[in-house]
Amino acid sequence: MKRRKRKLWDLLIRSFFMVILGVGAAYGQAGGFRDYIYPVDNLKPRDSVPRLKTGDRAPDFTLSAVAGGKISLGQYKGQKNVVISFVPAAWTPVCSDQWPGYNIAKDIFVKYDAILLGITVDNIPTLYSWTRQMVLNPRDKLWFPVLSDFYPHGAVAEKYGVLRSDGTSERALFVIDKKGIIRYIDVHDINQRPPLEDLVKALEEVSRP
Amino acid sequence: MAHNKKLTGMTSLILVALLFSGCGTRFFSGCPAPAPEPAQSVVAPEKPAAAVIKSFPVFELPMPQSEAEKSYLGLTGTGTFQITQIKAPVLLIEIFSFYCPYCQDSAPQVNEFYQLIQARPELKEKIKLIGIGSSNSSFEVNSFREKYQVPFPLFPDQKMEIFKMLGARGTPTFIGVRVNDQGLQEQFYLGEGAGAFQNTSQFLNEIIKLSGIKAEVK
Repeated sequence: MKRRKRKLWDLLIRSFFMVILGVGAAYGQAGGFRDYIYPVDNLKPRDSVPRLKTGDRAPDFTLSAVAGGKISLGQYKGQKNVVISFVPAAWTPVCSDQWPGYNIAKDIFVKYDAILLGITVDNIPTLYSWTRQMVLNPRDKLWFPVLSDFYPHGAVAEKYGVLRSDGTSERALFVIDKKGIIRYIDVHDINQRPPLEDLVKALEEVSRP
Repeated sequence: MAHNKKLTGMTSLILVALLFSGCGTRFFSGCPAPAPEPAQSVVAPEKPAAAVIKSFPVFELPMPQSEAEKSYLGLTGTGTFQITQIKAPVLLIEIFSFYCPYCQDSAPQVNEFYQLIQARPELKEKIKLIGIGSSNSSFEVNSFREKYQVPFPLFPDQKMEIFKMLGARGTPTFIGVRVNDQGLQEQFYLGEGAGAFQNTSQFLNEIIKLSGIKAEVK
C-alpha cells in the first residue's frame, strides 16, 4: 500500500514538473525573438573608402531576393526612384529595428514613387529568419524586397564603396532617381540609425520636377 | 520526521520548478534600447510588473501643437511644460519607438486602452495617457501617430534623455505615475514588454487597483 502511495506521489511530482517547465518554455518563447539579437559594442563609425558620389551613375547589380527570384537595379530604371538601404548584418542591434521602421513608412515611399531595396551581406536562410521576426503580425509583412549580397561576398557593397574590413557593410542609404543617377548618399555612423526625415528630404528633392 | 523531510524536499523542488518556469513574472518581450545606448544584454532580467513605489523625476516636454491634446492634458501656452503640470491623479506613460515592432504591433491595443478610459466618465479625468518616442525625432513620432491614428499625445525623446532618466531598458515600457497625499508624483507601476496589453480591460483593472484611485474594477 505504502509503495503504491509512493509511486502515485512520484507520478504527481513528475507530471507537475513537466507541466510547469513546459508552460515556462512556451511563455518564454512567445514574442521572445528579440532575445536572439547579438549584442554589439560601439564600432568604428565608418570603415570603408567611398567609391561613388552624387551625380554618378548607380552601378547595376542583380541579387537574390529573400522572397525568391532575382532583382536587378536596372529593372526600375524609368519606372521608380530607388532607395538602397545597406545594413551591416542580420541579428544585430540598430539594423534589427531600422527596417521595421521603414516597413511602417511605406506610404512615404509610395508618395515619392520610390521602391526600397534592403541589402545585407548575409545569406538567404539567415535573412529569411531575421526578416520574419521583424514583423509580429502577418498583416505587417515587409513590403520591400530584401536582397542577399552574400556570394561573391559583399560584391555589391564593394561596388558602392560600403564594404567594411570585417566583411559587413556600412549602414548606408543611396537614393537613385529614375534615370539611374545617384542623388543622395548617407554613409551613416554604423552605431546609429539615420533619421527618417533626412531620407524623406532626399526623396522630396528627387521627386521635384 | 522522515515525512517532514520529504515535505520540505518536495516544497523546495516545487519552488525551483516555479522559479525556472517564469510563472508569476512577466517576461520582457520588447525591443532592447537602440543606439546610442551602450551595448547591453538584450535578454532583460525578469521583473514583476508592479514596481516598488518610488519618487518620479520632473522633466520637460514640448507643448503639444494641437489644442485638443493641450486640453486633454489640462495645459495652456507654448514652448515646453513640466510633467507635473498634467493635472490628473494618474498618468500612464508608454515609452515606445517608431522602429520597434512590438510597439507597432501593440499600437492598436494601446489605442483601445485609451478609448476604454475615455468611455468611462468616472475615469477619463482621472487617468491620462501619453507616449514618449525613445530615440525618435518629431518626424518619426508624427509618422507613428499618423500610421496608427494614435488619439493621445506623443512626444519625441530623440536623445533618450527621458528614457535614461526613467531607467527604461527597452520598448515598449509602461510607467504608471500617481499623485500622492503630499501632492507629489510617484511611480507606482512598471510594465516592460508588450504583454501588458494582451487584455486591455485586465490592464485597466490592474492600473485602477495599483494606483489606488476610487473607481470600479470591472
